[in-house]
Formats: sequence, structure tokens, C-alpha cells
Amino acid sequence: MSEGSDSPVSRRKFLKKISQGAAAVATGGVAGGAMHAAAIQSSADTGKQGKVQYGMLIDLRRCIGCQACTVACKAEADVPMGVTRSWVEYAEKGLYPNVGRSFLPRLCNQCSEPHCVRVCPTGATYKRPQDGIVVVDQGVCIGCLYCAQACPYDMRYLNPVTRFADKCDLCIHRVAKGLVPSCVNTCQGRARIFGDVNDPTSEIHKLIARNPVSVIRETYGTQPNVYYIGLDTTDENTKKPGQYVRVTTNKAKSKKRT
Amino acid sequence: MEHHLMWHWPVIGYLFLAGLGAGAIAVSGIVVLWDPAGEFRHRAELVARLGAFIGPLPVIIGTALLIFELGRPYRALNLLTSNFWFMLFNPSPMNWGSWFILLFFIFATVYALTFLPWKALLRGERGERLAARSERWRSPMAVICVPLAIAMAIYTAILLAAVPARPLWHTPVLWLLFTVSAISTGLSAIILVQRFMFRKPGAVRGAVRREDPAFRVTEYYLVSMKVILIIAELVVIGLFIMFAHMTINSSKFAVQTLLPGGEMATAFWVGVILVGLLLPAFIEGFYLLRTAVLGHEFEWPYVINVSAPIAILFGGVMLRYVIVVGGQITGPIGI
Repeated sequence: MSEGSDSPVSRRKFLKKISQGAAAVATGGVAGGAMHAAAIQSSADTGKQGKVQYGMLIDLRRCIGCQACTVACKAEADVPMGVTRSWVEYAEKGLYPNVGRSFLPRLCNQCSEPHCVRVCPTGATYKRPQDGIVVVDQGVCIGCLYCAQACPYDMRYLNPVTRFADKCDLCIHRVAKGLVPSCVNTCQGRARIFGDVNDPTSEIHKLIARNPVSVIRETYGTQPNVYYIGLDTTDENTKKPGQYVRVTTNKAKSKKRT
Repeated sequence: MEHHLMWHWPVIGYLFLAGLGAGAIAVSGIVVLWDPAGEFRHRAELVARLGAFIGPLPVIIGTALLIFELGRPYRALNLLTSNFWFMLFNPSPMNWGSWFILLFFIFATVYALTFLPWKALLRGERGERLAARSERWRSPMAVICVPLAIAMAIYTAILLAAVPARPLWHTPVLWLLFTVSAISTGLSAIILVQRFMFRKPGAVRGAVRREDPAFRVTEYYLVSMKVILIIAELVVIGLFIMFAHMTINSSKFAVQTLLPGGEMATAFWVGVILVGLLLPAFIEGFYLLRTAVLGHEFEWPYVINVSAPIAILFGGVMLRYVIVVGGQITGPIGI
């Protein structure tokens, strides 16, 4: 990996050492200022620490759009025909010869402020306290699809077999046994990194800290836990004048990209 | 282009019927409470009675539509029973709505029972006693039912407006639009039933007769109320579009679907605006003004008499259709 996970002294450690040193030797206002800096640093570091929050980092520079994750997800979760839990969107833009195509693998963002959980009238969908995965209790769900309306990422669907709401659950059955989700397991370019985003020793935490990551639709305030490196936000609805844009999603017949 | 719709006719029908039932009860209760012992109530007693009888019916039909749309109808009980303490603090509008429906249906049914002609139904002392008790309970029940009905009407809009991911729904104007439409359709349903019942003068024994001047006065009040509501609804629709335009971004993009050239434009401009609002406003406005300005007697041909409230009811369905479908075929812009 070239993301700098082995750099000798990170900026954060450096600042921490300085502040600790300053606090130890300085007196009066100097100590106060240094301690203040240390407090800021540590609160930024440990804001949500202690709480496991599984998430994913997708390095789009490594994604080749092969849809292997889509297929693996379909097989692993036994997703019925016509619906998908995870897919890769293609965005094409430009005019020949200056053209480009970007890939956008989509899956449930396991948001820290999930709107689907807020609107659920029965409490069937909830965020698991032990790992932060948003799940649907199929024994309580009534299939009203209010959650599917509320999700800004269109990650929920009506399972045509069970007639209840269904979604990506980060392969909870695999994760519980210490394995990675199926899409991560199958990814050819190792574009997907899975782990606890709050654990400072985890690979995903380090990569998020050291790379210019972004999330989808951040303005909705859902605090997604799926991060992207090199995210291209091209959308047909926001294309520039005279620009050619074509987006291909998982829905062959739907015009809308959500 | 085909669209992937998660909520369709059962939800549209439910939103319309719940609004209609709530509107009918609200009108009936307001008429009862307007002057509990006065003359107006005596004249408008038929309106209060019809509103009370119409009220609970569409609500229970709409709820049944929703419940049977679910794969397993018995699961709907989870709305009320899955976890009491959670339910108490659950912010989900759908959960609040299911409680409103339950309470509304119970109280509206009791309220409707107070309008039954007990003396005619039960001979002797029991009939007398129940009639006296109904008389006593009617106003307190109306006091409970009017706020519940208004809460029901507002809730049908909040259900949609609580979802930021649907920019057409996520607007603070929607509840006003749905509430005005609910009261307008409830009133139209009352007027329509009243007109069907009074095709032949004196069809209902003991009630106000068609040739009775009191009937005309009531009719005049009702129709003018309805025209005022139509004008209010037109203003609120203007506000709705203006708000979305001023909010720009996703809201402006979403409201394009209603504006000329959009996918829902025909349903919106023909179904909601033209047939549902302008047509009845012009028809009824004409006869109202004839009476108000020229002093003619308030009377009109039966066909027009019946078609105006039907047009308003049709407009109410189309409004729900346009909002529910339009909200789902548009979404947030950008990724």
C-alpha cells in the first residue's frame, strides 16, 4: 500500500508528543495553551472511541467496475431477482476523444444518524450497539417501506420473497465470525477495506486519517460510514452546460439516480 | 420511462380517504360546537349528522387498503404492540398516525352514534334514555373529535414531509395543503350525500326538507365555505410551488415535475387545478354571486349541483396522486 501507513512519525503523534512535552515542562499560561491544544487533539482522536462502528473504505482508484462485488453480494445474501443490495454505478462523461468513466460501488452506508431508523414505525430497523450495523428485524418489520422512502441512498428494497424491507447488513453472519464481508472478500483490486472506523489501530482508520476521503450526500447529515477515495460526484442532474453525462445504475428501467 | 414506485394507489387512496373522513368530522364537529343551543345548529343539524356518519367510514376503508397492501396484514398490529415504551417515544410519524387513526376511529364512531335516531330505533324507555344521553354526549365528543380530526389531516402530510430524501414532500407547506384539501373534500362529501338524499323532496323523514328555506340557507353557507376553501387551496398551492422554487437545489428540481413540461404536469394542471379547483370554483361562484349580488334565490340545476362536489373529490384524489407519485419519481440531485 502506498497510502503512507508506515510513515515514521505522523502529524498527529508529533503534535501529541509536543503537547505532552509542553505540559510537562511549561508553567502558567504556556501550560494552559498547550493543554488546550492537547485536549483538542485528543477529543478529535477519541470522539467516538470505544464504540465499535464497522464501515468501509472504497479506493476508487483501484476499482475496475467488474461488478464482482455485486455478484458476490447477490450469491452470499441470496438476494432475489430484480433487487440488489450492492452494485457499481458507471458515470461516463466528456466528448470523444476526451472521455472518462468513473465507477461508484454502492452499499448501505451504515450511517451514524440513520434516517431509516428514525422513521421506522415499529422499531424493526435499528442500529446495533455492538458494531454499528443497521439491521432489519424480519420478525417485526411490517413491510411499509417508509424506511425505503427515507433513505437518501436508495439502499433499501422490498424483498419480493418475504415482503419485508431488506438491505445490506455488511454480511453480519460473516463479520460475526471474524471474516470480512463477501464484497470485500471478492474484490479483485482490493479496492474495498473493511473494519472498525473508530479503532485507531485498524487499517481503515489509518487510511481514512491519511487520505482525502469523502462520503456520499454528506449534506443530509446522516454521517455515513462508507468512505471513498477519489470520489467522482458526476450526476446527470448536475451536469455542466454542454457536457455529455451518462450514468448507469442498478435499475435498468428507472430514470432516477438515488 | 418506467418508474420504480414503492407507494402507489393504496397509499394515495389512504391519504385521500383519511383526509376526507377527518374533514367530514371536523366540519360536523365545528357545526355542532358553533352554537350548541342556537338556531344555526337546528338548521345545520343535517350537515352535522351527515358529517358524523360519513367520518369514520373512509378512514377505516383507507386503513384497510394500507393493511391489506402489506404482505401479511396481521403484522400491522406491530405498529401498536411491538414495544410499549419504545412506541411511546418513537418519533416516527407513521407510529403517531396509527395511534391517531385508532383514537380517531373510536371517538368518531362514538360521536356518530350520538346522531342515531334512538327514539325511532328503540321503542319505549330505552330509546328515550339513549336519546337523552346522545344529546348530552354530542358536544363533549365533538370537542374531542375536532382536534383529533385536524391532527389526522395534518398527519397525512407530515407522514410524507418527514422524509428529507424526497424533496417534493420535504416542505413545511405540505401540511397546510393537505389540511385545506381534507376539509374541502370532507365538506364536498357532506354536500354530495345531502344532494343525493334530497333528489326527491322529503326523502328523509323528519329531516329538513328541500323546499324548506332553512335548507337553502344551510346550502348557501356550505357552498360559500367551500369556495373560500378552494381559493385558500389555490393560494397554498402557489405557496407550495414558490417555496420549492425559493429553496432551489433538490426542491426546485423536484417541483419541475409539476410545472409545464414535467412528467406530472398534465395530472397536476388538468386534474388538480382545472377540474379539482377552478371548475367548481367558477360553477359555484357563479351561483353564489347571483344570490349575493343580484339577490336571486339560491337554486341551480341538479346536474351542476352534483358535479361540483364530485369534481372537488376528484381533485382531492389527483392532488394525493400527484404528490405521492411526483415525490417518488424525483429525488435528491447530485451524489
